[in-house]
Amino acid sequence: MTAYVLRRLAQLVPVLFIASIGIFAMIYAVPGGPVGIMLGENANQAEIDALVHDLGLDRPIAIQYFDWLGSAVTGDFGVSLHSREPVIKLIGERLPATLQLAAVATLIAVLLGIPVALASALHPGSWLDRMLSGWSALALGVPTFWLGILLILLFAVELRWLPSASRYVPLWEDPLEALRHLIMPAATLGVYVSGVLARFLRASLVSQLGADYVRTARSKGLSRGRIVRVHVMRNALLPFITVIGLMMATFIGGAVVTEAVFTYPGLGRMLIQAISTRDYPLIQGCIIVMLVIYVAINLTVDVLYAYVDPRIEYS
Amino acid sequence: MSDPASGIVAEGAAEPLLSVRGLTVGFAGRGGVVPAVRGIDFDVMANEVLCIVGESGSGKSVTALALNGLLPATARMSGTIRLGQTRIDTAGEEALRAVRGREIGMIFQDPATTLNPLMVVGEQVTEGEVVRGDLARTDAPARAVELLEEVEIADAAGRAGQYPHQFSGGMRQRAVIAMAMAGRPRLIVADEPTTALDVTVQAQVLALLARRQAETGAAVILITHDLGVVAEVADRVAVMYAGRIVEIGPVDAIFANPRHPYTAALLQSIPRVDAADRRLDTIPGQPPLPGAFPSGCAFHPRCALGSARPRCAADDPALHPVGGTAAACHFAEETAPPRLPADPRQSREIAGATEAPLLSIENLEVHFPIRKGLLKRTVGHVRAVDGVSLVVRAGETVSIVGESGCGKTTTARAVMGLVKATAGTIEFEGDDITHKSSAALRAVRQRMQYVFQDPFSALNPVKPVEEIVAEPLRIHGLYDEVGGKQRIAELFDLVGLSKTMFGRYPREFSGGQKQRIGIARALGLAPRLLVLDEPVAALDVSIQAQILNLLEDLQNELGLAYLFIAHNLSVVRHISDRVAVMYLGRIVEESVKDDLYEGALHPYTQSLLSAAPVPDPTRRADRRRIVLAGEIPNPAAPPPGCSFHPRCGRASAVCSRDDPRKARFGDTRTLVACHHAGPLGEPVGQVAAGGVR
Repeated sequence: MTAYVLRRLAQLVPVLFIASIGIFAMIYAVPGGPVGIMLGENANQAEIDALVHDLGLDRPIAIQYFDWLGSAVTGDFGVSLHSREPVIKLIGERLPATLQLAAVATLIAVLLGIPVALASALHPGSWLDRMLSGWSALALGVPTFWLGILLILLFAVELRWLPSASRYVPLWEDPLEALRHLIMPAATLGVYVSGVLARFLRASLVSQLGADYVRTARSKGLSRGRIVRVHVMRNALLPFITVIGLMMATFIGGAVVTEAVFTYPGLGRMLIQAISTRDYPLIQGCIIVMLVIYVAINLTVDVLYAYVDPRIEYS
Repeated sequence: MSDPASGIVAEGAAEPLLSVRGLTVGFAGRGGVVPAVRGIDFDVMANEVLCIVGESGSGKSVTALALNGLLPATARMSGTIRLGQTRIDTAGEEALRAVRGREIGMIFQDPATTLNPLMVVGEQVTEGEVVRGDLARTDAPARAVELLEEVEIADAAGRAGQYPHQFSGGMRQRAVIAMAMAGRPRLIVADEPTTALDVTVQAQVLALLARRQAETGAAVILITHDLGVVAEVADRVAVMYAGRIVEIGPVDAIFANPRHPYTAALLQSIPRVDAADRRLDTIPGQPPLPGAFPSGCAFHPRCALGSARPRCAADDPALHPVGGTAAACHFAEETAPPRLPADPRQSREIAGATEAPLLSIENLEVHFPIRKGLLKRTVGHVRAVDGVSLVVRAGETVSIVGESGCGKTTTARAVMGLVKATAGTIEFEGDDITHKSSAALRAVRQRMQYVFQDPFSALNPVKPVEEIVAEPLRIHGLYDEVGGKQRIAELFDLVGLSKTMFGRYPREFSGGQKQRIGIARALGLAPRLLVLDEPVAALDVSIQAQILNLLEDLQNELGLAYLFIAHNLSVVRHISDRVAVMYLGRIVEESVKDDLYEGALHPYTQSLLSAAPVPDPTRRADRRRIVLAGEIPNPAAPPPGCSFHPRCGRASAVCSRDDPRKARFGDTRTLVACHHAGPLGEPVGQVAAGGVR
């Protein structure tokens, strides 16, 4: 098991290395480069040359890259061009907010998705099944910004129960206040993803319910409830781990629209702002952090598999 | 014989344990209810083994599920099923659950999928008893070990805590038997319990089932397509066709004097491991599927007696006593008695026997590395093929027979260049092809083609069959040269298909027809050698005979050589000129067909042959069966010396030390690799490890 995890970690090194080259090269992909952005359009050649020298941009690219990589590995992604603050500090402020949103949204998606999937898989073709699959289609089809705005109109504007602009309040500091701020953006994301999860799990459950071992279990005289609980659920949830992992991963960077609607201080929104202001160090830092989290989630999923499924050998 | 239900009810019987009357099962579909079982009656007595025989679509498995109330929700059932005093057909789910496991135990076909992969075996074996409250949860682990010991699983205590994937196929089926027997049921329903198992393991499992049945006095309903198994274990036999029982009676009468033309034809169409060579009598056409059962007697379109008689097409005959059985046939009195193997053929003299070999395999080794650890270092090798030498001459059929994992398929794939040989040489037409580039191999493959086992997955489902057959010609750029569409039509004709089928897709064909398409595709390039990997293993008995006859005809017509890979000893005896027996990556014995089957010299061959079921119930008593102990060892760590010695009854000290070389035995035509080779029955040592039964 340990050897398996170590080998998977070792496999990440080349992946991250190749990705880092791409991220580093971004800075050269833009007309004017960082200097043009920093000095604006009216800078004279002397100013440009001075800044190029200050930033070390006149050194060979390979040296610049390894210099940058060396800093990045220690968490030093440079200073934001826009706010002049260290990138790592900016990310450090936003990352907990994003992780908290992702976790709560995933929880909501799972709590909604599993019962829906179970109810429809156990009665395939019934009115319940059709209603629930209609619901999951709706959950998938409704754009998140629209659902978000509806929620704000109802709970913040009409009922005035919840704040319309969400702040980040750590759950462990003030759980109630944190939930007041989290519940709408998390529900917006969670409802959407619960549609995906429900559809996926329903298919998985239906195929497991038709498996030979279910027939064997029935021939032993087990009740339907026990067969579903003890035999089918575990088998059906195995592939579900992958989907949950993928969903969580997309929440890290992909919740931009939801974060924007609720003005939630997440990583995704900061990345979008950094792109619009061409704040290259910040963009690079955000992408690297997202990449690492994404890769870490994938690794966790694989390790979890090896742990849950006795058929997978760790070697 | 005045009782109209004679044969349905066992003779001189008291109250039957199970009584089925007028059972009808259909499946609700878009176009209404599709009948699968159409009104069947039978009884089973305590302590009796009833075999239900039939081909696919006959309704035998549906019958098995109905007995336990396990039919899917779409099923529509009528008729009565009575187990003792309990009505199964009207019982609610609660009552059925009380019956299942406690009154009726079920054993299913595929041990690979019948167990939950995520639950340890011991827990699954005792789960029924625990849930019913017959067993305290704390006593379950000890009970699991006890149950696994009863089915002769070695190291039961250790095995109970393992998952199904850590069990071999035979062990899994033992565990399923333990599970079915756990509640001491009065009736055991086994649906093709040994179909997925190797022949020596099949013998073990059948012997175990028989022993447990004798110990508990349970009745057994065994559902199978294998007439050999029926002859070995049945007391009575019910033959099903198109959802009806067409004949039922005591096993001796069914085999000696079948009264239904279908039973008779089925018995004629199977190759036999114990009989001299003959051409198989085939049943024309294919078994009908539910939804397409013919009118009147469903067998009439394929029947030698009834195909031309209007009464057979109009009236569905009822079961009535004829001779020693009950048959559902208007003209049962006319059914011809089964013929003894007609016109026995001696081993053919092959014209090219003295010429240079077409295919020559010399010391072939195929090893697959096992990688482990952080750096995936190679820690060992699976020796799938470990020094195989074999020659195939033009126009002859050489078979490689062996159990799963023996390396027969890997050998075939190495010949085709589909896996790389680790060592040794493969020569084709005198040309060393062992290390040829794939481009060079492509040219060779024009004269050497492969036919796959599973016709259901070997054809591209989105291409019309004409394209599938034309594909090899197009790949080699020969399509126009050999005559294009005209050539495809010839090929279709050659394998007994019509060119009116050109535009159809594989799913529109039956299994036998798909295999014909596979053969037509292989023949397109006019090869000299066909490598046939289990070409009839997935087919129904009557279809298997058609394909075997087709292969025979093609060989005579085109002078093809066959390298035939199979596990079915009867089929191999039927088709081959020479036979090589493989065990754990090596050929242990090789000879002319009849010499091998009549006078096997290697203990493994002898046990293999003795384990093969013979479709003749009269031979049940006098057959010596060597039941091998244990299972095939791991090919990554074969035993030292002769790899068969741990399971061999003749093994001596030398066997665990020295690896025997394959050599000619005396002045016979047999090559054998054994220190103690010799005919069975000679005083060459003690009896086999498992004992002679």
